[in-house]
Amino acid sequence: MPDNTGEMVPATIPELGRWLAANAKGDRRPVLPVGGRTSLGFGMPADPASVEVATSRLDRVVDYPARDMTVTVEAGCRVSAIQEALKMEGQRLPVDVPLAHRATIGGAVASDAGGPRRFGFGTLRDYVIGIRCATVDGRLFKAGGRVVKNVAGYDLCKLMVGSGGSLAFVTEVTLKLKPLPTSSAMGWACFDSGDTVSDLLGDLSTSRARPVAIELLGPKAARQLTAESRQALPVGPLLLGVAVEGNPVEVEWQVDVLDRELRAGGATDVTWARDADTKKLWSSLTDYQLGGESPVSIRACLRPSRTVDFVVAAIDAGVAVQAHAGNGVIHGHLPDDTIDATTAEEIIGPLRELAAKSGGQLVVERCESGWHDALSIWGPPRGDWPLMTSVKRQFDPDGLLSPGRGIEAAMQQLSDDGMDQQ
Amino acid sequence: MASTQPAPDGTVPVATELLIRFRRLLGDDGVLAAEDELIVYECDGYVVEKKAPDVVLFPTTTEQVSEIVRTCNEFDVPFVPRGAGTSLAGGCLPVGGGVMISLTRMKSILEVNLQDRYAVVQPGLVNLHLTRHLAGTGFHYAPDPSSQGACTIGGNVATNSGGPHTLKYGVTVNHVLGLEVVMPDGQVVEFGGVAEGLAGYDLVGLFVGSEGTFGICTQVTVRLTRDPDAYRTLLGIFETVGDATQAISQIIAAGIVPAALEMMDQGIIEAVEAAYGFGFPLDAAAVVLIEVDGLEVAVDDEAERIIRLCQEQGAREVRRAETEQQRALLWKCRKQAFGAIGRLSPSYCTQDGVVPRTKLPEILEFITDAGERHGVRIVNVFHAGDGNIHPILLFDERDEEQIARVFRASDEILGKCIDLGGSVTGEHGIGVEKLEFMERLFTEDDLDVMASVRMAFNPRGSCSPGKMLPTAGACGMEHIERSHPGKQAAS
Repeated sequence: MPDNTGEMVPATIPELGRWLAANAKGDRRPVLPVGGRTSLGFGMPADPASVEVATSRLDRVVDYPARDMTVTVEAGCRVSAIQEALKMEGQRLPVDVPLAHRATIGGAVASDAGGPRRFGFGTLRDYVIGIRCATVDGRLFKAGGRVVKNVAGYDLCKLMVGSGGSLAFVTEVTLKLKPLPTSSAMGWACFDSGDTVSDLLGDLSTSRARPVAIELLGPKAARQLTAESRQALPVGPLLLGVAVEGNPVEVEWQVDVLDRELRAGGATDVTWARDADTKKLWSSLTDYQLGGESPVSIRACLRPSRTVDFVVAAIDAGVAVQAHAGNGVIHGHLPDDTIDATTAEEIIGPLRELAAKSGGQLVVERCESGWHDALSIWGPPRGDWPLMTSVKRQFDPDGLLSPGRGIEAAMQQLSDDGMDQQ
Repeated sequence: MASTQPAPDGTVPVATELLIRFRRLLGDDGVLAAEDELIVYECDGYVVEKKAPDVVLFPTTTEQVSEIVRTCNEFDVPFVPRGAGTSLAGGCLPVGGGVMISLTRMKSILEVNLQDRYAVVQPGLVNLHLTRHLAGTGFHYAPDPSSQGACTIGGNVATNSGGPHTLKYGVTVNHVLGLEVVMPDGQVVEFGGVAEGLAGYDLVGLFVGSEGTFGICTQVTVRLTRDPDAYRTLLGIFETVGDATQAISQIIAAGIVPAALEMMDQGIIEAVEAAYGFGFPLDAAAVVLIEVDGLEVAVDDEAERIIRLCQEQGAREVRRAETEQQRALLWKCRKQAFGAIGRLSPSYCTQDGVVPRTKLPEILEFITDAGERHGVRIVNVFHAGDGNIHPILLFDERDEEQIARVFRASDEILGKCIDLGGSVTGEHGIGVEKLEFMERLFTEDDLDVMASVRMAFNPRGSCSPGKMLPTAGACGMEHIERSHPGKQAAS
């Protein structure tokens, strides 16, 4: 039963299933799956009538056959705890999850959490090879399995990654793993102009070195990162970070190559952090997307080659900006003096247009409560949204799971507004 | 045995009017309807179950595909897309007859963008043609199925194809950014795109591997991967299969992820050697083809570690490909091994089980036993690093009793894969061949959820009926049944 805070904390997955089944037949209260509460601000706010169903007690490591390089864990396992267990075997999940000490793997999967290393290693969709979930009416189902290559049945793992807890309640995942590198280094270089960085990024894409992360920060983000990581980073209008990993020989060789390339590409200052010194930088870079106290946080994705244009435009608009430059994925935080939704929209509108022109989109990841209706959270509808709505309806015909939070809610809004002509 | 008998009752004949409409849309050149021409399309690489479509169409544009689909719906006729027909599980078998939409004339490379690391291609493009087109650019398309000289990118999308190098680089789904799809109702929808990380459900990831049951992809945006800075190609020669599989387990357990880790046993070595003359030792029980790639400064060290691990497991010898020609020939032997099987037997059936990598020694022993128990000769060539086995069961398709034994041995092998915590297909798909295993791998609830997802895409069930899920299709398609389910026909 939900406790007096209105939260339901099942001790086992069958118990979760029974509770969901009873709810679906009985009270039919809206259900909000909750992990480490690090991403609950995403999208539209939750229905206040929702029962929060927390995975905090579903935290078993179900199976870790290290020699097969896979691990099966319950959804409530903290990401950092999983990484610690993997480290003992010289392995890791090479996906950066913000606030990994709090974030659960179930929540990370639902929100498709990722960070700088997506350039070298991809995202969670590349690592979730098996999944178990509960439907909103309490049926327990699985897809995929525990082997690294498997095409039996529809790949519902992919569907659940990034589904925001709106299709089913993720209860267990099986992950494919990678060896833990023995060495790493991160180089930071300053640039005076966007054009210089743009050219350099083009050159880096054919460098003999193979960076695992390419980060581009505006001055505000650079200052915050410096403070947060307590590392002396160079100061300038644009700060570029490149990271390499591997054995010490590979790392040193790549540091040499990249150092030369960064300087030849017009960097005004280059510094390198190695091994233990990079640890705090990685976590600060990963957590930066959460945005602290910023009134509005945005995320754009676009063609990688358009990243610098977007970053420069965002900086000009006063946005604190961090780009995973190799991937064209950009996080931005609007300035503290953004006083209302109208002011925010004035900043977001042109950037959204630029993202769309660059083959992508801009979404509002978080904003002050009460601004959601005035800001368009998801932006203009894309061609595949109606199909997403159909998928949602198949899983949750009565809209009881994380209601109103995702794209299907935006579609509903559009059709309510009479704008949906399809 | 299945054969090309006239369609039994219950299948859907294609009306004359429909043919007229298709000819008007595609020209005579784009429509095949003569019985003798249709025989070519009665099966794919899975030869034990056959059914010719009523008509084969060759559209050249997305609009034509959409119009074909709308017309099929108007006449309530099922339709199935087809690439090169290299599927090994009956993925493009036209269950219930109807219209086959061949995408082989939509084979253009529409755009290559190295800066943003993607290419946009049509589905009928042959996988190897993309590789060749990109040669010299420093980039490549990573999934490299052994059939890449024939199979198409669209077919790869449908089955989520793998290949030797997917051990390190991932399978098709890890390399598809966007799709243009003609939905089963004829609408054209774009999923994903050139930007990664678009908000909303990952319909691209869901579509890849849906075996044609979610719609027909008419354009694919694939991710391009940097060519490795350097590689080393090794050949480990082993006295026993057990030593070889132990060596493979040791390599993975040591935290080395080679670019490829492939095994061939004595049976297949004999055929491959006769066909290509590489110089394989015919008395070796198994050879393991190992490729490491990475930075030039690191690959020799990794190769040395692998050689040591092989030697510790009793390798007779570990050879290195010293020249690019040697490497190319070695890969040709591996990738075209299937082409050499004709030297061993008139027909064969390849299984596609997967086991956790540490269970390889156990499953290979089981395969040997199963072959002996059922009197079926089995040879092995497979993606060892992924635990993805490909036992090849040799038989004569004219001998029904032999086929029955092949089925029994196959069933046992795949059943054992499930028991060992694995799966019945790593890259070939469920198709029609493995439908009955779905109920062993998945519960009723699992399958219900999958069926409900199919409802979102393909509510009438008219697109690729009878595939992937053991339920025939959806409402309205109950009349479509397999006229000659292979196993029943053969046992």
